[in-house]
Amino acid sequence: MTIRLSVNGTSHELPDSRGTESLIDFLHEDLNLTGTKLCCGIGICKACTVQVVKPPSPVPTAMISCSTALSSLNGTEIHTIESVAQDGIPDPVQQSFLDHFAFQCGYCAPGFVMATRTFLTHLQARPLPPDQLEEAMMDAIGNHICRCTGYVRYFNAIRDLAERVNAGEEIKL
Amino acid sequence: MIETSAVSRRSFLTASGALITCRIFSLPALASGTGPAGSGAPGVATQRIEGLSKITGKKVFARDFQARDMDGWPNRQWHAQYLRALHADRPFERLDLSALPAEAQPARVVLGDELRETQAAMSLSFNRDLHVEERIEEEAIEAMTASRIGLMSVNLPRNILYDLIVQPNNRPDYLGQAVALLLFDSRASYLAARKALLFNDDSFQVYGAPVSSDGPPSPGEPFRPLTDYVKYHDEFSYAQNAKGYKDNAEKYREQIRETVARHPEFIIQNVDAAMQAVDPMFMEPESGLVWIDPASATMHLLMGTQSPDADIDNILSLYGTDDPPAPVRQINLTNCYLGGGFGGRDSSPFSLMLALAGGFADGNPVSLSYDRFEQFRVGLKRHAAEIDGHIAVAPDMKLQAIKMTLTFDGGGRRNLSPFVASLGALCAGGSYVTPMADISAEAIHTENISGGSQRGFGGPQAYFAIETALDELAITQNWDPVALRRANLIRKGDRTVVGGPITQSLRLSEMLDIAERHPLWADRAEIRKDHKEAGRTYGTGFAMSLQAYGTSGDGMVAAVRLERDGSLTVSSAAVDMGNGSATTLGVVIGPILGANAARVHMSDYTLAGQTGLGTKSKPKNWSNARWTPKTVGSSSACLTGLHQVHTAQQTATALLEGSILVAAAEIWGTGAVSPDDVVWDDGRVTRIDGTASPLDLPRLAEFIYRKGLPCGALGHAYFQNTWAEASYDTPGGTLRLQLDGLSFYLPDQSDPQFVERQDGNGPGWASRRYSRYVWAPCVNVVGLTVDEQSGAVQIENVLSVLNAGHLHVPELVSGQSQGGVAMAISYTLLEDMPPGMDGPADGTWNLHKYHVARAADIPLGGQYVRGGRAQELITLPPLPGTGRVGRGIAEAVMCSVPPAISNAIRDATGKRFSALPITPERIREEMRR
Repeated sequence: MTIRLSVNGTSHELPDSRGTESLIDFLHEDLNLTGTKLCCGIGICKACTVQVVKPPSPVPTAMISCSTALSSLNGTEIHTIESVAQDGIPDPVQQSFLDHFAFQCGYCAPGFVMATRTFLTHLQARPLPPDQLEEAMMDAIGNHICRCTGYVRYFNAIRDLAERVNAGEEIKL
Repeated sequence: MIETSAVSRRSFLTASGALITCRIFSLPALASGTGPAGSGAPGVATQRIEGLSKITGKKVFARDFQARDMDGWPNRQWHAQYLRALHADRPFERLDLSALPAEAQPARVVLGDELRETQAAMSLSFNRDLHVEERIEEEAIEAMTASRIGLMSVNLPRNILYDLIVQPNNRPDYLGQAVALLLFDSRASYLAARKALLFNDDSFQVYGAPVSSDGPPSPGEPFRPLTDYVKYHDEFSYAQNAKGYKDNAEKYREQIRETVARHPEFIIQNVDAAMQAVDPMFMEPESGLVWIDPASATMHLLMGTQSPDADIDNILSLYGTDDPPAPVRQINLTNCYLGGGFGGRDSSPFSLMLALAGGFADGNPVSLSYDRFEQFRVGLKRHAAEIDGHIAVAPDMKLQAIKMTLTFDGGGRRNLSPFVASLGALCAGGSYVTPMADISAEAIHTENISGGSQRGFGGPQAYFAIETALDELAITQNWDPVALRRANLIRKGDRTVVGGPITQSLRLSEMLDIAERHPLWADRAEIRKDHKEAGRTYGTGFAMSLQAYGTSGDGMVAAVRLERDGSLTVSSAAVDMGNGSATTLGVVIGPILGANAARVHMSDYTLAGQTGLGTKSKPKNWSNARWTPKTVGSSSACLTGLHQVHTAQQTATALLEGSILVAAAEIWGTGAVSPDDVVWDDGRVTRIDGTASPLDLPRLAEFIYRKGLPCGALGHAYFQNTWAEASYDTPGGTLRLQLDGLSFYLPDQSDPQFVERQDGNGPGWASRRYSRYVWAPCVNVVGLTVDEQSGAVQIENVLSVLNAGHLHVPELVSGQSQGGVAMAISYTLLEDMPPGMDGPADGTWNLHKYHVARAADIPLGGQYVRGGRAQELITLPPLPGTGRVGRGIAEAVMCSVPPAISNAIRDATGKRFSALPITPERIREEMRR
């Protein structure tokens, strides 16, 4: 029995004996992908958020990697912060965070990026009445902890994008 | 992979018993790809200079690295784990690892008795504030004198003398002190051991029966020196009466008592405040790598620290001895960007414990990587404090006297606590002028986790005390709280409770005007009515602060280089903890040199060693071109706003006038060109009279490198109420600069060339006792609702009126303020961390127990609208003629928001909460009474 998963488009097969290991340890130790950050290690702060797609559904979900065991990821496609920018060009979420000076120390930023991308993808698929947008943003990203910024600039950046996506503007994620 | 050949910079020789070379490395991800910020208009940042690296997940934090990432390191790695003391009242006898599974057994165990004498209880120094350090010297001299004549035995540890690792059969000095170092030669065994030890470490440590405490210092004794500010009108104060101050302070203290007693009409308002310790909770738990290469006797360190200077000094104390854990002749430090700091990584013990582990790893690279439980368990905290006393006020609202005692819980291992206490005592005077003051502050030794220099440095505790007391006074006297404050504002020319003069324009009255007129305050009765009609209990609170920044003497260093391709590089000893210092330093040279820096190197501790200046050079006065009172210090956003920016700009000016304009004149074939003759236009230096073709930086660089003109400048500045200044001979003539040291980099020469300081002039000794000279005033109004059933508080609106001076990068200023507001809300309402083994010292604390503010806890709007939730920041436009000088930001907000919240809860509920945190449980309990 093996665990089959892909990370940023590359397939991996792992023995079942590694099933209890956490995803973040696999990313850090096996793949040297350290853009996903460890903060609390118990799934509260969300700094370690990645995107996970479990076919046949193409819709990604935001998932904490510090408390997710590899055994639960068989058959999934995992996307980390390293996969987001293409040829060094930031994606719209990253660019919006840069433009708004949204982050400071930046340790929580990858988690915010991955959760925001997931949120916007869902919004593209199913726009909301404008008066529900704020609450939806808070539901999707409100539990991410940032100690530096006070959240204002993060949410300004996310709101800018969300309003555009919700209005039907095509933003490539 | 860090390629050391690509990123190695300069070296710096220092000595501590032995000669050890220190070299600083920076991260390749940050040394390039910084274009977006640098490509803005000169002086304007379009994004954070290191932002792209951070947002794309590049390796920029210490935690991102392993030995395999490091060029030239062995491709293997050991793992270190310290076991932590569980008792401070009984001797640690031994370890018992028999219950540890076989696969979890360490390759090596180091107990305290394996450390040689010089390491077991090594002498560490914590230097931060010159006037406090002078008191330490005074006390040491007094103690030596007293000891010689046999009058007394003084308990006066100048430095830390606690065991780095508790020796078996010694009583730990504090909870969380290391009792053993476990070293694992594989990650598998390390993980297995961590799993076995987590929440279960009492199974592996054996303690004896409780014993009485010993010292020095014993629990409850203060860390020296103490702070004692007695001010009596213009007749006597700490700053004005250096000679005989200690001898006369008691006499004037008595006079204050008598004066107050003679005036029964004075209204006495008690001061009574208390607050628990809190964790800085920076997002990246401390982490680092060390490798001592036995072949070259080189210690390679990779970590993230706010204080590389102090950390390296202390590591030198460990390895610069005759019998170090391993021979070290060179230290190579890579200081990464920090995943937050807030003071929690300023003189943190982490770096020393990392370096110590390296000495016992048999030449193997070692990783020391705290998890969040361990970070809570041992990381530096904001001090818990108890503050009591009273203020005496005349019937006309005029403040007459402040009597206050501030007792900070310094925890077990002396850190910067005496310095924190000292600033807290200054802040106890608030934003007000008082004829009489009697303020004492001390930090006591306890068994608790050590307090450090967390954001505000004693200010949050002190301002909470004075601002809640004033609010209570206004309520009991039926006075307007703003009018009470206005009646006592300190102004330029007045003296603080320390006795030092205010020499800056503070504009406090103007700030009160703005806040008083703002609808959040002006319409507070109507807003309350709105909420009442909706069934909510609403209150409004007002508070202000005058947070000092910098220290009593600050040294800064910066290098500005014109590269061969015409791009600019700035290097600084300052550290960027996320506060935007790198971005700011990258753009503030833009208006001077026509372009922003393409690269900014931070944490370059070695720069100070290249200046040719030293604090020990004699004679110690400004006539000695090699002497400076202080080389470099700690890092903070406010120090960047004024001190570091000044240094970078003066250094850029030296490069401009000492070289670039010389090159321009020679290319143009004209006589000397002065800065008044030219402007920068689209990156080209352009004659105002239009008599020559503009020159871009690549053209100028080509000429400078070909002709051997200076291609860079290294400046050192010193600030102590005023800037030191001097004249320097340069290829562009003699320049008068507000620098106390200048060197030039020449093409193809690695070491800078020292320029003799002439006609040096700087602050004298006396002003050092002012304690502080520059201020970041802030007024806050808070509107909040209280659910009287659940005790839940919701912050509805926050108004901050801030005198931040010139805003170098407005987005960074507002971001710092927003971060300060969030941290202050969290501190006041959420962060509940009891002392002792009821708190994180027991090793079970994480974010499931320790709650910090989330987005929903914070008003996220930017502009106040009645009925909405917002935090509005109003910054005063700088006065004409005050220059482009920045002031402190987040520390200012951190000081006045907590009392404004308490005052608002008082307004809402009629109950005074003078202890932090004000949790729902405490509100419920109080409401039931």
